[in-house]
Amino acid sequence: MKFPKLFKPFVASAALAIGLAGCGATNQNSSTEEAASAPPKVENQEVNIYTARHYDADDLVYKKFTEETGIKVNVVKGEAEELIERLKREGESTQADLFITVDGGVLANAKQNDIFQPVTSKMIDENVPENLRDADHNWIGMATRARIIAYSKERVSPEELSTYEDLTNEKWKGRLLVRSSTSLYNQSLLASFIELNGEEQAEQWAQGIVNNFARQPDGGDRDQAKAIAAGTGDIAIMNTYYVGLLANSEDSEEVKVAEKIGVFFPNQETNGTHVNISGIGLTKHSKNKENATKLIEYLTSVEAQEFLSANNFEFPVNPNAKKPELLESWGEFKMQELNFDTLGEHNKKSIEIFNKTGWK
Amino acid sequence: MKLDLMKRHLKKDVNSWWIISLVGAVVILLPILFIFLTIFLEPNENWIHIRQYLLKNYVKNTLLLVGLTGLFTAFLGVSLAWLIAAYDFPLRKFFRYGLLLPLSIPTFIAAYTYRTMLGYTGIIQSTLRNQYDYQIDAQILSISGIRGAVFIFTMFLFPYVYMITRSFLENQSTSYIENARLLGQKPFAIFFKIVLPLARPAIVGGTVLVIFEVLGDYGVTSLLGIHTISTAIFQTWFGMYDVNSAMRLAAWLMVIIVGVFFLEKLLRQRRRYHINNKSRPLVPIKLKGIKGFGAFIYCGVVFLISFLIPFIQLIAWAKMTFNKVWESSFNTLIYQTVSLALIATLIILIFSIIVAKVCSSHSSFSFAISKIITSGYSIPGPIIAIGVLAIFISLDQYLAPFYKWMGLGEAPLILSLSLVMLVVGYFIRFMATGFNAIEVGFEKIGTKYTEASRMLGLGVTKTFFKVELPLLKGALFSGFVLTFVEICKELPLALLLRPFNFETLATKTYQYAHDEQIHEASISSLLIIAISILSVVIIQVLGKRVRS
Repeated sequence: MKFPKLFKPFVASAALAIGLAGCGATNQNSSTEEAASAPPKVENQEVNIYTARHYDADDLVYKKFTEETGIKVNVVKGEAEELIERLKREGESTQADLFITVDGGVLANAKQNDIFQPVTSKMIDENVPENLRDADHNWIGMATRARIIAYSKERVSPEELSTYEDLTNEKWKGRLLVRSSTSLYNQSLLASFIELNGEEQAEQWAQGIVNNFARQPDGGDRDQAKAIAAGTGDIAIMNTYYVGLLANSEDSEEVKVAEKIGVFFPNQETNGTHVNISGIGLTKHSKNKENATKLIEYLTSVEAQEFLSANNFEFPVNPNAKKPELLESWGEFKMQELNFDTLGEHNKKSIEIFNKTGWK
Repeated sequence: MKLDLMKRHLKKDVNSWWIISLVGAVVILLPILFIFLTIFLEPNENWIHIRQYLLKNYVKNTLLLVGLTGLFTAFLGVSLAWLIAAYDFPLRKFFRYGLLLPLSIPTFIAAYTYRTMLGYTGIIQSTLRNQYDYQIDAQILSISGIRGAVFIFTMFLFPYVYMITRSFLENQSTSYIENARLLGQKPFAIFFKIVLPLARPAIVGGTVLVIFEVLGDYGVTSLLGIHTISTAIFQTWFGMYDVNSAMRLAAWLMVIIVGVFFLEKLLRQRRRYHINNKSRPLVPIKLKGIKGFGAFIYCGVVFLISFLIPFIQLIAWAKMTFNKVWESSFNTLIYQTVSLALIATLIILIFSIIVAKVCSSHSSFSFAISKIITSGYSIPGPIIAIGVLAIFISLDQYLAPFYKWMGLGEAPLILSLSLVMLVVGYFIRFMATGFNAIEVGFEKIGTKYTEASRMLGLGVTKTFFKVELPLLKGALFSGFVLTFVEICKELPLALLLRPFNFETLATKTYQYAHDEQIHEASISSLLIIAISILSVVIIQVLGKRVRS
């Protein structure tokens, strides 16, 4: 067990920490140059990950990687923004080699915060299509999920659906469900509209959605699907990944919910369905660069991608990976083509628009 | 002249206890100062946006939530404490401890459990639907919004008020109540004329604990979709990547907290109710017939809602997901959670005793120290976390030459990658929990024995070990349980400050719940509850043995 080892520095330095904490404050701004130019640590076969993805499937994939390569994987899980803040503050002293998170906006933000370094690997380039990688090789896609329109099979026919823009139509008044604007998924969705249609139209869209709310935003994506089943609303903006999880739940009631809703990929005639991406980046001050690159290569391989997709119902990034049946049944769809960086750039603006329009 | 006076005061007050308190206060003050310093920075455009569109709403929601929860927890806690302390009725002995059990369920776990249970796929709606073909309007059962949050906070935090008030009534108010009874006062009159004024410090103390818990909450409010200052801090920090505006919001939270402090002072004042020190336990009066049944029903319903129903629901979910989720890794999780909480609790208790001792002298210095030492409880965990993190990283940089000399490498992160950082975070956040319990203990003892001991020639330290510590035992036990359980349940600090490969049961639960894997979260939730219950039981059993 790892525990006694973790406690060693504790015992040794508890007194020191308390005694010196006082001095630490005055030294708040002590220059980071002192800490600069640390020599790489002796190569012990390990790789350290800060990740905002907390799925059991991820842990199992890391385990497989360790079994295959003998490289140990250490993981710190947290919220993406907290981890970015931590990486920024740790600077050169960080132990983290990889940063993994969901959402293109967050990845773009991490890039802006200069916590990545480019990764170049032929294998990665072969595994992941160019549009799912950062143009500057700062991060690599790991999985995607589409933000679709879920509809009640009983009360809505798919012919009535067309685009995200159409959701502001009078005919959906009091019928539309969506989660709160604090959700990154919604922020990135609106950010994509700011990029595609401009700020003014994006604001009009958000206002139109608010006007059509069946109820105040409540709960997560699964709850929107349940609200359709309950008859609170007829259509919902939600992620494909949750539809997959509902359909495969241990709870038979949740499976029934999944059976009641249909999946519609909007904007197929125009600029494509909005996609959210999970990505991996090599940290700027990684000490185990080689192992980290190996892990990225593994995570994007057909084997790992198929495993992740089968267990987590996200779309694989590797085009050679087979999708699970359910995802296959939804058919192919046209993806919104956007530089993910723009999602990060417009994130703040989209939050402001949400606040202005009263999207809670 | 003035200087001389100050010197004399210092000479009188300063001893090793005083210095240790000061050090503790400094450790706690640092991250708080760190927050405050950012306030003096020029406000940016985000802040203007926040002020224009959101601030009023945040403050309104926060005050509403705190006000309603405070009111209801005080009502529930005091009424139950009075019933149990003064009356005997069926199952009273069971409820006496049973009503502490809601504390073992972290509020965010309670919230997601109730939310799912009352939701569309939950047991109530699905039973109605499948058995009786009846679809109830989902909005009626919804616990989202302020209504739901007040419900969750009240049902799962009232034991703070209940516990402190009950113990006060049982041990401190005997003679007043018995005299009033002898003089023929009616039960209601006794309650309003004697119990309420007498127990005011205990009631206010317990309610303030609840209020701080609510002010710092992120889990429940974010789950139920309420925008409070605390959730806004997260949103500003994480959504807008604007730490400075987040800190500025934290300052607003501080304003409310200071308000609560003043209110507390106003309500509690410095009254001493420990004239009668021969504390005999209060003998409960037997309630007969319908009255006894009524008391039983009241306690029973509260117990059902605040513990048994969610507990059984979690067990059902755990059964459903056991094969998928259970792994041997849970042993490690339990071990890590418990040992971490033990260490942190011990440190907090030791400091609490020292500081409470220093503060029992009632100087203005000690007043300031006690306020600082308990202020961490009112600051949201993530804000403390960032403060602690920043300080530890600079500390590591500061210590780099020392590490190098020890052969640890050029600029390693020793402290900030160890559990020390997390323990310090807990120390800052939960000093109040330990301290308040022990302060009440000291108040109960009064100054008589201490003064006698000092006058008879024993020093501060000797007096403490020989006279005060034995009298403090009860307070120590309750302080221990409260703090230990709090740490086992704690979330944001553990999420942010733990080292590599270190998980607690709470972080594991949160990760599942956050990803909407509610059923999967049940096993780790149950483990947290089990640990909390076990610790309460152990302490109670131990406490009994010590007393007898």
